Amino acid sequence: MPFRLEKRPEPSRLMQYLTPAAAVALTMVVGAIIFSLIGYDGMGAVREIFLTPLTNAYKWQDLGVKAAPLIIIGVGLSIAYRANVWNIGAEGQYVVGGLAGTWVALATYGMSGPWILPLMVLAGVVGGMLYAAIPALLRTRLNVNEILTSLMLTYASVQLIYYLIRAPWKDPMGMGFPQTRMFAEAARLPTIIPGTIVHLGVPIALLVALVAWFIMSRSVFGYQMRVVGTAPHAARYGGFSENRTIWLAMLVSGGLAGLAGVLEVAGPFQRMVPGFPTNYGFTAIIVAFLGRLNPLGVVFAGIVMAITFVGGEVAQTTIGLPNAATGIFQAMVLFFLLGGDLLVRYRLRRVASTPATGAA
Amino acid sequence: MTLNRRTILKAGAAAAALPLLGSRAFAQGEPLKVGFIYVGTINDNGYNYAHNQGRIYLQEQLGDAVETTYVENVPEGPDCERVLRELAQQGNKLIFATSFGFGDSVIKVAQQFPDVKFEHATGYMKADNVGLYNARFYEGRAVCGTIAGHLSKTGKLAYIGSFPIPEVVMGINALALSARKVNPNATVKPVYISTWNDPAKEADAARALIDQGVDVIAQHTDGPAALQVAQERGIVGGFGQGADMSAFAPETQLTSIIDHWGPHYLASAKAVIDGTWVAGDTWEGLKEDVVQIGPYGPKVTEEVKAAAEAVRLGQIDGSFHIFTGPIKDNTGAERVAAGVVMTDAELLSMDWYVEGVEQPA
Repeated sequence: MPFRLEKRPEPSRLMQYLTPAAAVALTMVVGAIIFSLIGYDGMGAVREIFLTPLTNAYKWQDLGVKAAPLIIIGVGLSIAYRANVWNIGAEGQYVVGGLAGTWVALATYGMSGPWILPLMVLAGVVGGMLYAAIPALLRTRLNVNEILTSLMLTYASVQLIYYLIRAPWKDPMGMGFPQTRMFAEAARLPTIIPGTIVHLGVPIALLVALVAWFIMSRSVFGYQMRVVGTAPHAARYGGFSENRTIWLAMLVSGGLAGLAGVLEVAGPFQRMVPGFPTNYGFTAIIVAFLGRLNPLGVVFAGIVMAITFVGGEVAQTTIGLPNAATGIFQAMVLFFLLGGDLLVRYRLRRVASTPATGAA
Repeated sequence: MTLNRRTILKAGAAAAALPLLGSRAFAQGEPLKVGFIYVGTINDNGYNYAHNQGRIYLQEQLGDAVETTYVENVPEGPDCERVLRELAQQGNKLIFATSFGFGDSVIKVAQQFPDVKFEHATGYMKADNVGLYNARFYEGRAVCGTIAGHLSKTGKLAYIGSFPIPEVVMGINALALSARKVNPNATVKPVYISTWNDPAKEADAARALIDQGVDVIAQHTDGPAALQVAQERGIVGGFGQGADMSAFAPETQLTSIIDHWGPHYLASAKAVIDGTWVAGDTWEGLKEDVVQIGPYGPKVTEEVKAAAEAVRLGQIDGSFHIFTGPIKDNTGAERVAAGVVMTDAELLSMDWYVEGVEQPA
């Protein structure tokens, strides 16, 4: 067809910030139309998925708890992606972080003291970092693509959970169900608002985003990440080592995914179960892009994603929307976002169809 | 009183409501809201489908007296807690949590909503407002094992399971014991795939098992994927689990174990409406019609059918119990003495395999 994508010399900065909002708005409109066409209450679906979680104060706690891990992982990924380091395996680093924290919790079972939780958190961060170090090492030493290795290590991490909770860590009182015992009081993340489920992980997520924003915009480290990502040649002239950047990007994103993992296992789960990998690591990829790879943007994007999860359940119970609808709405957000990005950076130009050359 | 069309209609309506006498008082007011959460989708044609059929049965039987809601694909973990709170907050007074892994969440949420009744399927943790219900699936497995013992040519059977919990271990053992009553050399190879519903994993496991010479596959996961592979590869057969799956494997499904939860849901809802609900602990089977055996497939000969029916009817009239000693475990040690029947408590904590079952990795 006579259309061609042509790079815009200067993409509009305003449009770059508007595309996420436009993507969400388009998702709502198109979603309402699609679900009306297939016989559901389309307007109701959009209202229940996108608005009810915001207007019903009782749902705010759920939003906070669901958004926290997405934000923490999303912040780490946004830093790595800025540097063009494609860590796709945050889910695996999240899992290993959770396992490392679980290990501390089980090893200190029966003990008490305020040092247990910080030690678990430290173990979680280190666990996530170590797991991310494998793709970093393979990339810097053997030039193996980190997208493949980090992704494949995710599946290995899930098998590691199954192994640990089936045999060495199995709950003695669990009727044979593969799960660890309930953590002791000292190994559980405290709730910070009495009568709700909002745990310490929620303010930690906000703090992580703020600190990351400050570092990315104000420090040499942040500058290095951004320069290596946008202008690798200039970065090399400037003396920034590419390998060092890869290591930093993988360790920061892996460490934050590990942090999210340990907070999740010590907070909402309070024991390791086979259902621990809940795709936060993958959803956080959408969150990072929806947030424009900016730590503060990631906070908003994390909340938007949390809204679709929580709202998706509301829509199931109130208007009988199938569970798959949530996934469709999330996919639409990403699709419109990527499409919008493309159109911001390129313009669609009609090309006059040229006659076949050399015929005459 | 003059008899006109309207009063006749009214009388007719009242008469129609008579069978619902227990619920009539309630029906005049608000309907009882009943919530269901499923670990998979209602279209899995198996376990979750069967629970949803139970919900539909309840709705049909009680009509306007109940209003049912379900949430599908609920993960076993904190997400489940949120869904339960959501249902309780929307005024559901009776909530059925239909998967084992929902247990922790049910107990937590039940404490926050003491006026809501919860029932947890296949679980083990009770509370004042948390009852338990389960079905004796193993009775169905005994019928399947009898058929497998007769029909398998290689004598190698397999069992695709989710997690090694007593529920599943019991099913494996019932299959092995009944198959070996027919063919003493039959063996059962269990494989655990750590999920209740993942058609790709179920199919992969089935392929790997068939490559190892297995010619009858049973599964304790929620869908027909393994059965489809069995049909494709043309092995002797497999069994429907939860529901009749013959549509997916018309030649290969030997029979199916059908979960028939409707009557239990009806009884519980009626009890809540009448104010007589107490946290119970029911475990019913073929006799109570909670477990049913589906139609026999084309490969099941008259002779085999008769043997299977004998096992089915024996369990209904109480003359046959598959877990009757002597039973040895798979290390050769005697676990149950001759003539002794295992108690329910022993069955519900079963963590060892009978002779003929390969120790899973």
